[in-house]
Amino acid sequence: MPLSSTTDTTPTDPQSQRGRTLIRIQNFNAWYGDFQALQDLTLDIPRHQVTAFIGPSGCGKSTLLKWINRMNDLTPGARAKGGISLLSDRPDEQTVDVDILDPNVDVVKLRRKIGIVFQKPNPFPKSIFDNVAFGPRLHLKTTKSELDELVEWALQKAAVWDEVKDRLQGPALGLSGGQQQRLCIARAIAMGPEVLLMDEPCSALDPASTLAIEDLMFELRSQYTIVVVTHNMQQASRCSDRTAFFFEGRLIESGETRKMFTNPDKNQTDDYVRGKFG
Amino acid sequence: MALPKALQEQDFKSTTTGMLSERLIVSCLALCALTTVLITVGIIYMLISQSVGFFSSDQITLREFVTGTEWTALQSKQLQQSKFGILPLLSGTLRVTTVAMLIALPLGLITAIYLSEFASPWIRSWLKPTLEIIAGVPTVVFGYFAILVISPSLQWFSGGGFATFNATSAGIAVGILCLPMVCSLSEDAMRAVPNSLREGAYGLGCTPYETAVKVVVPAAFSGIVSAFLLAFSRAIGETMIVALAAGTLPTFSADPTRQAQTMTGFIVEMIKSENEYGTVQHFSLYAVAVTLFAITFLMTLLGQMIRRRFQESYE
Amino acid sequence: MNKLPVALTRHDANKIARYTKRRKQFSAAFYALCVAIALLSVAILVVLLMSIGIEGQSRLSTDLLTRSHSELQPQRSGMWPAIVGSLLVCGTCGLLALPLGIGTAIFLEEFKPRNRWLLRLRSFVQLNVSNLAGVPSIVYGLLGLTMFVYMFNLFGQIQVNQSSGWELMGAKHLYQVLTLEPDHAVFIPQTNRNQNQITIDRPLDGLDQDWNPIAIDVWAPGTPQPKDPEVRRRTVAAGTTGGTVTDKAWYYFRLPLDRSFLAGGLTLGLVILPIIIIASQEALRSVPSSLREASLGLGATNWQTVRDVTFPAAVPGIMTGAILAMGRAIGEAAPILMVLGATISKESGPRHLMDNAVTMPVLIFNWAGRQQQEFKQLSAAAIIVLLVTLLILNSVAILIRHKIQQSQP
Repeated sequence: MPLSSTTDTTPTDPQSQRGRTLIRIQNFNAWYGDFQALQDLTLDIPRHQVTAFIGPSGCGKSTLLKWINRMNDLTPGARAKGGISLLSDRPDEQTVDVDILDPNVDVVKLRRKIGIVFQKPNPFPKSIFDNVAFGPRLHLKTTKSELDELVEWALQKAAVWDEVKDRLQGPALGLSGGQQQRLCIARAIAMGPEVLLMDEPCSALDPASTLAIEDLMFELRSQYTIVVVTHNMQQASRCSDRTAFFFEGRLIESGETRKMFTNPDKNQTDDYVRGKFG
Repeated sequence: MALPKALQEQDFKSTTTGMLSERLIVSCLALCALTTVLITVGIIYMLISQSVGFFSSDQITLREFVTGTEWTALQSKQLQQSKFGILPLLSGTLRVTTVAMLIALPLGLITAIYLSEFASPWIRSWLKPTLEIIAGVPTVVFGYFAILVISPSLQWFSGGGFATFNATSAGIAVGILCLPMVCSLSEDAMRAVPNSLREGAYGLGCTPYETAVKVVVPAAFSGIVSAFLLAFSRAIGETMIVALAAGTLPTFSADPTRQAQTMTGFIVEMIKSENEYGTVQHFSLYAVAVTLFAITFLMTLLGQMIRRRFQESYE
Repeated sequence: MNKLPVALTRHDANKIARYTKRRKQFSAAFYALCVAIALLSVAILVVLLMSIGIEGQSRLSTDLLTRSHSELQPQRSGMWPAIVGSLLVCGTCGLLALPLGIGTAIFLEEFKPRNRWLLRLRSFVQLNVSNLAGVPSIVYGLLGLTMFVYMFNLFGQIQVNQSSGWELMGAKHLYQVLTLEPDHAVFIPQTNRNQNQITIDRPLDGLDQDWNPIAIDVWAPGTPQPKDPEVRRRTVAAGTTGGTVTDKAWYYFRLPLDRSFLAGGLTLGLVILPIIIIASQEALRSVPSSLREASLGLGATNWQTVRDVTFPAAVPGIMTGAILAMGRAIGEAAPILMVLGATISKESGPRHLMDNAVTMPVLIFNWAGRQQQEFKQLSAAAIIVLLVTLLILNSVAILIRHKIQQSQP
C-alpha cells in the first residue's frame, strides 16, 4: 500500500497515544541466502515507549531492526516473508498506514518516518551544521532561517547544542565519540521521524557518553517511538519500557521490562538476564 | 519545546520527480558502463571484419598464415611475391618477451619479497616511489634508453656479438618496464597473506628466508602467478620499445642477438610505410592484430580469473 | 608410549647446530640479495635519467621549445607544435575518458543490483573492464584508426587527407582565382560542391583576401590592362580558371574524423578509460560503508547518497587515478602513431578540430630512430621536456589533493 501523505505523521497529543501499537510484526521470517535468520515472529511495538531487543549475538535482533526501515535492501541475498506494518493513529489499532515489506513501498518516505542510528557513530565528513541539515535538505522545502531553527532544535533535542553551538561550521569528525553519536541522533531527529531505530548505539562509547545517550533515549520517548538493540542488559533494564528477548532467530518472550528482568515466564529468559549464557 | 516551523509545515519535496531524475541519472550511468562493453564489441568486430579482407584475398590461406616461416609484407614491392607467414613475427615477439620475463619476473618477485617482508619503513618510502616513477616513465623513453645505453653496452660486453638492433636489448628494456608491475602486484598478494602464517613459521623456528620463500610465497602463489601473466601480456603488447630497438627484419629463429621484428613492431612499420587503405598489405595489419589480441586477451583473462579466485579465498 | 620418536632422539647436537648455522647464513645471504636487487631498480632509474640528461643537455635551448621540426636544420629544430599537440590531444582524451570512466565506476560500485541476473551482468561488465585494461594500446590504436579515422568506411571509401567526407560545420568552400596583380587572388563562394573548378568569363561578386565583398571585373585579353593597382587587384583575365580552396573555422567538423587530433584524443581516451574506471572504483570502495548507510538511513536515494556523500569522499582518490591516467596518456605513442600517422613536419599546433597534430612521444620516437647525431640528442632533450611535463602534472595533482583534503572539514 502506498504511503499516504496526510499530516497524521506527527501526533498532536503524544500522551494520549502512548502505549498504542505503532509497529505490528506478524509471522515474520527473514533469510540471508539460505540461512534463516528469523523465524515466525510476532510482536507489537507500542508508541512513545522505548522497546529494547536483547539476546546473544547472532540471534537476529539487528536483522529485525534493519527490516523495520528496510535497510536490509542493501544486503545482497536478504529476503523476508510475513508482515511488518506501521499503523495509523486511529484508536482501533488496526488501520495499516504503511505495509513496510511491500516491494512497491517508497523507501525514501519510509526512512523519513523511521530514522536509524547505527552502532558506530558515523557522521559525514562535513561540518556539524551540514550533518544535521542533510536530511531536511533532502526532504523538506525550507528557507535558510527555517533550516537554522530546525538544526538548533534538533541539536538541542539531542542534548549537544551547548557543546557545539560555537562551532557549527567546524568538522563533525572533530567531536568526541559520544558527541558524534548524539550528533547522529540529532541528524535523524531533524527529518521529523516517528520512530527512531537504534542499533547498539552505545557499544562504541565510553561509560559517561553511554549514560548521556541513555538519558537522551528516556527524554526522547515522549515524542518518538524508540526501538533499541542492545547487548547490555543493564542498559535494557535502565532505559526501556518493554523488552523483547531473542534467541537463535526466535522471539522467546516479550513484555514489560520490569517483569522481564524480575519474573520472566520462560526459563531461558531468566538464564539470559541473569548472565548464565550469551 | 515547540516543533520547528519547517517540521510543522510538512512541506515535503515531491518524491515522484526525485524518482524520475534518479531513474534518468541511473540510466546515464548504465549507459557509461555499456560503453565499455561496446568498446570490446567494437574491437572484436573490427578485428574480424577487417581480417576477413585479408584472408579472402587469393594470395593467402589461413594455413600459410599460421605455418609460414616467411613474412615479407613490407620487404617485397609486388604483392605476388609477398609472403604472409606469422611465425617470424611470433618468434620475434617470443624472443623479446622471454628476455623481458627473465629480467622482470625474478627481479620483480625478489623486490616484492623485500618490500613486503624485510624492508624498513624508511627504505620503503624510497623504494616505492622509485618503482612508481619507473612505472610512470613513457615507454618510448625506454626505447630510447635501449638504443642509447643497453644495446651499445651489450655490444661492448660481448665484443660485437650483438647486432645494433637486437631482441635482447629490447627485451631488457621491456623487462625494466614490467618490473614495477610484477613487483607491486606480487607485493599486494604477499601483503594479503595473514600475519598469523608468518608468526606460525617463525614460531616453528624458520629463518626469515624460509618464512618468506617457503610460507609466504606459496600462500600468495595465485596472486603472483596472475602478476606474472599480466606482465607477460603487457610485454607481448609493448610497442614503442621494440619498434625502436628490436629492428625491422622479421627473422624466424631463436637467436636473441639478431634483429627481431615483433607483431607490434610490424604494425608500427606498416603504419610508417603509409600503405594505401584496402591493399592486402594494409589488411595484414588486422590479421597480425587478431593474433596479438587473442594472445593478450587469453593471458589477461586467465590472470584475472586466478586473481579473483585468490581474492575470494581471503575474504 | 612414553618413548620419544626416533627422529627426535637420534639427533646429534653438533650436526644440528651446524645445520642451523648454515640455514641462518643462507637466510642472511638471501637478505643481501634482496637488498642488492632492490637497489638495482634505483640504479636503473639513476642510469636512465643520467644518460638521457647527459645526452640531451646540449640541446636544451629556447629553440627547442619555440621552433618546429626542420628536416634540413637539425641544429635548430624544436618541439613547439608537439607540445601544443600533446596538450590538446590529452585534453580531448580527458574530456572523453573522465566522465565516462567515473560514471562507469559509480555505476559499478554504487548501484549494485539485487537481482541475480543483473548481478551476473554486472560481474560481466567488471570482467570486461579488467580485460580492456590488458588490451595492448596498439590495438586501441588500430580501433581508433578503423573507427574514428575511416569510420568503417561508412561514408564511402575515403582516401586519407584527400576526400572531405561529410562536412558538418565550419567549412567555407571558395574558388581561388588569380588577378592581374601578381601573387594576388580573389575568392568566389562555391555554390555547387561537385564542381571543382570555375572559369571566369563574366563579372562576378566575390571576396578579397580579407573576406570583404568586392565586385570582380573581367579583362578581355587584347584590350589595354587597367593601370591602377586597386583595380588590377579585383580584375581577372577572361578565361582564367580557379581551383577550390577551403577556409576552415576552428570549429570545422566533419565525419569521418580523419587523422585529426580529435580522433587521436578519442583513441587515447579509450586507452586510459579502463585505468580511470579501476582507479575510481578503488577510490569509491575505500569510502567506509557506514557513511553510505547513514545517508540511506536518512532517506536519501542511491544517487543522492553518491552525490552528497560517497563521491565527495572519493574525490582525492579519483583525482590521483585520473592524473596517473593522464600521465600515461601524455606518454603514450603507439595509438597516436596509428591514428595520426608518423609525420612530424607540422609547423604549428592544430588550427581546427580536424587538423592533424604532432605529439611529444611521436616526435621523440621519430627523432630517436634517425641516424643523425643531432636528432638523437634532440630526442633526449625532448624526453627531458616530456618528463618535466609529467613531473609538473603530478605536482599539480598533489597540490590539488592537498587543497581538497584541507578544504574538507
